[in-house]
Amino acid sequence: MPVGYSIYVDTPSSIHQKVDPRTKLVAMIAIFALAMEFQHPLILGLLMTMVILVGISAHLSFMRFLPILIGASWFLILGVVIWPAYIHQGRVVATLFGLNITSDGLLFGVAMGLRVGLLLTAAGVWMMTTSPQKMTLGLLKMGLPYKAGLTMSTAIRFVPLINAERTKIIEAQRARGLNVGRGSPLSRLRKYVAIIGPMVLRSVDLAEMLATAMDARGFGARDGITAITEIEMTAWDWAIIAFCVIAVLIGLVLRLLGIGVIVKGFV
Amino acid sequence: MSNSQSPIIEMRDVSHSYGESKTPALDHINLRIAPGDFVAFIGQNGAGKTTLAKMLNGTLIPTSGDVIVGGHNTREAGLDVLARIVGFVYQNPDQQIFSKTVRDEVAFGPRCLGLDQAEIEKRVRHALELVGMEKDAETYPFLLGRGQRQKLAVAAVISMSTSILVVDEPTTGLDLRGTRSIMNLLCQWNQEGRSIIIITHDMNIVAEYARRTVVMAGSRILADGPTRQVMADVEILKQAFLEPPQITRVMNALRGRGFQFPKNVFTVSEFYEEFKKALTERREP
Repeated sequence: MPVGYSIYVDTPSSIHQKVDPRTKLVAMIAIFALAMEFQHPLILGLLMTMVILVGISAHLSFMRFLPILIGASWFLILGVVIWPAYIHQGRVVATLFGLNITSDGLLFGVAMGLRVGLLLTAAGVWMMTTSPQKMTLGLLKMGLPYKAGLTMSTAIRFVPLINAERTKIIEAQRARGLNVGRGSPLSRLRKYVAIIGPMVLRSVDLAEMLATAMDARGFGARDGITAITEIEMTAWDWAIIAFCVIAVLIGLVLRLLGIGVIVKGFV
Repeated sequence: MSNSQSPIIEMRDVSHSYGESKTPALDHINLRIAPGDFVAFIGQNGAGKTTLAKMLNGTLIPTSGDVIVGGHNTREAGLDVLARIVGFVYQNPDQQIFSKTVRDEVAFGPRCLGLDQAEIEKRVRHALELVGMEKDAETYPFLLGRGQRQKLAVAAVISMSTSILVVDEPTTGLDLRGTRSIMNLLCQWNQEGRSIIIITHDMNIVAEYARRTVVMAGSRILADGPTRQVMADVEILKQAFLEPPQITRVMNALRGRGFQFPKNVFTVSEFYEEFKKALTERREP
């Protein structure tokens, strides 16, 4: 069971239980690299579909991807609105306010929206299939100093605590007549100071208390730590990593050949 | 509470459950509190005291039943209405303090209520005088000690001039001096005719200050009556996993050793008087 806040979904799938967290991290980085190598909406769309299918094969319901897809759709709209103003190559499909909207500009806009969607989906699948503990453990095994690893897992653990503090602070300020839902956007923003101020101070206070408590229990007294959960790379892990590396290399070659590129000179 | 006096707080068959929980946090609570009363809610952790208190300012709305505060049903009354009637001091003052000066912190509540500047200044002055912090008006609140910050939190609610003041664990983390100071403050405020409700585990505080005590256990009210009457009922206290104040227990132990003490002794000064009397009686048979 994960401790604290995370979007991790505990299922008995092989991706959850058998694939090493380091492999999943490498796979996510490979997807990020592929997302940057291609500009064509078709390829980016295919990659995104593939990532969602991987998620579904890990027993994640499609509904879990919905918030990510909704978020990504905003970037899609933004891409389609903004990029045609900068990309003028290709066939002119319309003229708006004296500006020529080209097919390449539209395609590039869609691709940029899909690229963000792909990044979000890949990060989402990684987080939903890797528990925070294993995530930290994977990073520690990759050479991350254990103090940094602890900082990371503590940050995750602190989210529900801070959230509980936030609820109490809102209750306390509401009892003093604070109504953040009323007034102009500017005055509402100013009202939030009454909530954010104590929250920041309480967070610092909590962090200080935790640090003192850990010092008192001898944290950092000796180098080298042991982990409750052990992880180990299997042949499958190496195969997945090899596949990812090959895919990124092929993507790089295709990029250099201009395949999957709509507009040269743009990332 | 006498029947002739209309209550300032009335809870009618109030039940409450958090989320999907099948165990109610409050189970069919009926309660009436008169204006100017000083009531203590006692009970072990999870008994439902804080949930009940949060019903009073509309922070929580009951799953069933009604809470009527100052004639307003909390289901319908908005935040603005209830904040003018009920002041709530939370256990940890740091969960509400955020201003740059003590003065600004105390002025925050009246400002939220939309009062004019002259009235705000008047209230701030009065609240700071009451808690004895006039000299700290321009101090940065986080430079104050824990006890002073707790006083500031009380002052910040007092400045709202509500007719009900709910204080959750008023003495947690305070030394004896801080505890006395806060409790005397609440008494003073109570003498102005305001209703005070405290939620506490400190039986000595209850015995010394509260006129009425409500014992809660298992989300229900186990006993409700004059503090002395409730404190004398050892069986009820036992059911709620509570014990009478230490001095009462000392007296009970001495009673078993031949001393003739009355049952309703709850404070050190009462004990002293009774003990003096008993010793005199022993010397003069």
